[in-house]
Amino acid sequence: MPTALSSTDAPTRIPAEFAWFRPVRDVGHLLRFRAAAVRRRSAFRWSALVLLFVTIGAATIPAFVPADDERRLQVAVLMPTAMAGIFAISIVSAIASGGGRELISREQGVAFPVSPTTDHLGALLLAPLNIAWLIQAWVLLGASAYGALPPRLFTAQMVTLLWLALATAAAQVIAWTVEAVRRRPHGIVAMRFLLVGLVAVAFWVQITGRTTTVLDSIPTLWLWVAGIQGFTWGWVSAIVLEAVLFVCLVVLGSIPANLAARRLPHDELRAETDTHTPRPMPWTDLSALLRIDRASVWRAVPMRRGMAVLAVGPGLVAVVGGLPWESITVLPGLVVSGGALLFGVNAWCLDGRGLLWRENLPIRPGTVFTVRALVIAEFLGIASVITILLASVRAGFPTASELTAIACTVVVVTVQVVGASMRWSDQRPYAVDLRSARATPAPPVMMVGYSARLALCTTITGLMFSFLAQVPDPAISLLVAVPCLAWSTMRLLRSRRRWIDPFERARVVTTVAA
Amino acid sequence: MNEQLPAVEVTGLHVRFGDVEAVAGVDLAAYAGQATALLGRNGAGKSTTMRVLAGLVPPTAGGAVVAGHDVRRDPLAVKRVTGYCPDVGGLVTRATAWEHLQLAARLRRMTDWEDRARDLLERFELGGAAHRVTGGFSHGMGRRLSVALAALHDPEVLLLDEPFDGVDPIGVEATLDVIADARARGACVLVSTHLRELAIEACGEVLVLRGGSRVATVSATEMAGEEGARAYRALLD
Repeated sequence: MPTALSSTDAPTRIPAEFAWFRPVRDVGHLLRFRAAAVRRRSAFRWSALVLLFVTIGAATIPAFVPADDERRLQVAVLMPTAMAGIFAISIVSAIASGGGRELISREQGVAFPVSPTTDHLGALLLAPLNIAWLIQAWVLLGASAYGALPPRLFTAQMVTLLWLALATAAAQVIAWTVEAVRRRPHGIVAMRFLLVGLVAVAFWVQITGRTTTVLDSIPTLWLWVAGIQGFTWGWVSAIVLEAVLFVCLVVLGSIPANLAARRLPHDELRAETDTHTPRPMPWTDLSALLRIDRASVWRAVPMRRGMAVLAVGPGLVAVVGGLPWESITVLPGLVVSGGALLFGVNAWCLDGRGLLWRENLPIRPGTVFTVRALVIAEFLGIASVITILLASVRAGFPTASELTAIACTVVVVTVQVVGASMRWSDQRPYAVDLRSARATPAPPVMMVGYSARLALCTTITGLMFSFLAQVPDPAISLLVAVPCLAWSTMRLLRSRRRWIDPFERARVVTTVAA
Repeated sequence: MNEQLPAVEVTGLHVRFGDVEAVAGVDLAAYAGQATALLGRNGAGKSTTMRVLAGLVPPTAGGAVVAGHDVRRDPLAVKRVTGYCPDVGGLVTRATAWEHLQLAARLRRMTDWEDRARDLLERFELGGAAHRVTGGFSHGMGRRLSVALAALHDPEVLLLDEPFDGVDPIGVEATLDVIADARARGACVLVSTHLRELAIEACGEVLVLRGGSRVATVSATEMAGEEGARAYRALLD
């Protein structure tokens, strides 16, 4: 039967502007869909309010803090570099997450016509829901307020806010482009060569002493100067330029996003079709469980990418910045917190639906819990050690106090973070498929809450041991570490008791395997 | 009336998840050397009953005894005597089929398990995929491997939840063989499914669940043919 329109039929044309606007409308629909699934609405509202107030506070209060002009000038001079810094962090974050976080997971979204442009806009919206981005943004806004003084606060903050949006959109374009190239034949190798080249250039710049020259030539300098000049034509042109560039980059991002969507992710496909040579039978139940849990962690694309970024990134920053040992003590906390956010905060999702089968195996639940905690600790510990080894390249040999302090930091923050991760995994499990590099173990808003709490706790611990690294007697660090470890171990054991309870365990298992 | 003691005995079983009552007073008895089907619509409580019998979900009220072990008091012993194929997935995505079999063999203290494992993989046509990670398996392959894992240790009680779902005819045949073998060696088999024809082919007795409760227990022959289909339909409404 012919199905073509006859000459008398009115063509049903979608208006051009509607088709163009469809991805924006679809983002709205997806946001409402995600918002409907929020479990604790009042906590969500409070969290949103806290984020808003912290942002407003960071953007205004430093301007009214009494300080001498010289210190304000120092901060103002550093602003262009800080603006470039948040751009770099946005790029790393977006690339590491395979183009940015998903507004709706691949498995859930498969039934809906979600276009790559909608996906791109969703990833852009979710980019700020990342503690690394948030802290950098608050620091940047605070520094901007501090360096600008109240009379020029509005103009400076307008430039800074638009820069945050612009940098995030530009990072998204770069991340989608990288993803589109990675998905081409030999794309992964090409990107690895590019990465090595960039690192080599960074080292060359550092070694030849050109860092200051390079930083001075960053175009953010012009933007910042326009911001602190007040209401001038320069400021107007800076604002207009930032706004126009932002819109252009948002639109431009849909091109590489569409290109990437048409190609298959090689690393994820390889991970799903990999074969592994059988190994001899493990000697003990514990080693058998460790082996399968390690396979779940180390064969997952998001974990491997995350480990590379988390372990190597801060280490390289420490090398380039020439951090001393007392500052290096802060790094393990950040690395360990970031590592837990890859899977640890929803640790039982590692097995996915396989958890139902595993739960029928005759093994004590306490052993299963111990193995899972050990595997998380091992993952976090390895990341910390790599960071410290890299950082030690320029820090030289540590004193006994510094060595003890750094060792205590690694052990204490690891136990702290493993304890928190296992507690949250029991309290708030989610059914998540961690196959994709873009997947997160919990919804984006929960991830912000988790990351903020982890970052706060581990940074305080890192700063405490940073102080102790300067105390001549190394035994002090050990004495301080003991109560910290005892407290974290007690909380970890409490989570273990909860997991052993059959009703609690059934709730977790059925939720994760849903 | 069966005179032997039931291998699986469920009395007044209730399971609640918050406000939802997934199982609302199920009673059943299943015997060694027999296969019993749990039939019913989606949400009838079949899978939750199977999870209770596998020692995964504790009963909210009522009780269940599996091969002489109380699921509430001794879930570990229940897990030792049961082989369970879950209704969804049931596989660790990033582990290979062989690694699944090896873990099950290790934790169930099996010796000389490798020939049995290879035989099961061949019967389910998974021999060529033994060392591939299961994340890339099709739905049917995953189902077949789940049945093989449940049957690996020749359990006293074999619990198969939706084993035929999305499985090709060769896989269905292999599953029917596994059920027949288990019955022949004196194991009790429980098969949860919504496919009436396959249930009556695999089992001698059929329990129909509706809204979390048992509404009928009939022989498989009574459920066969056009008349059986009408009777089943009437029980579901």
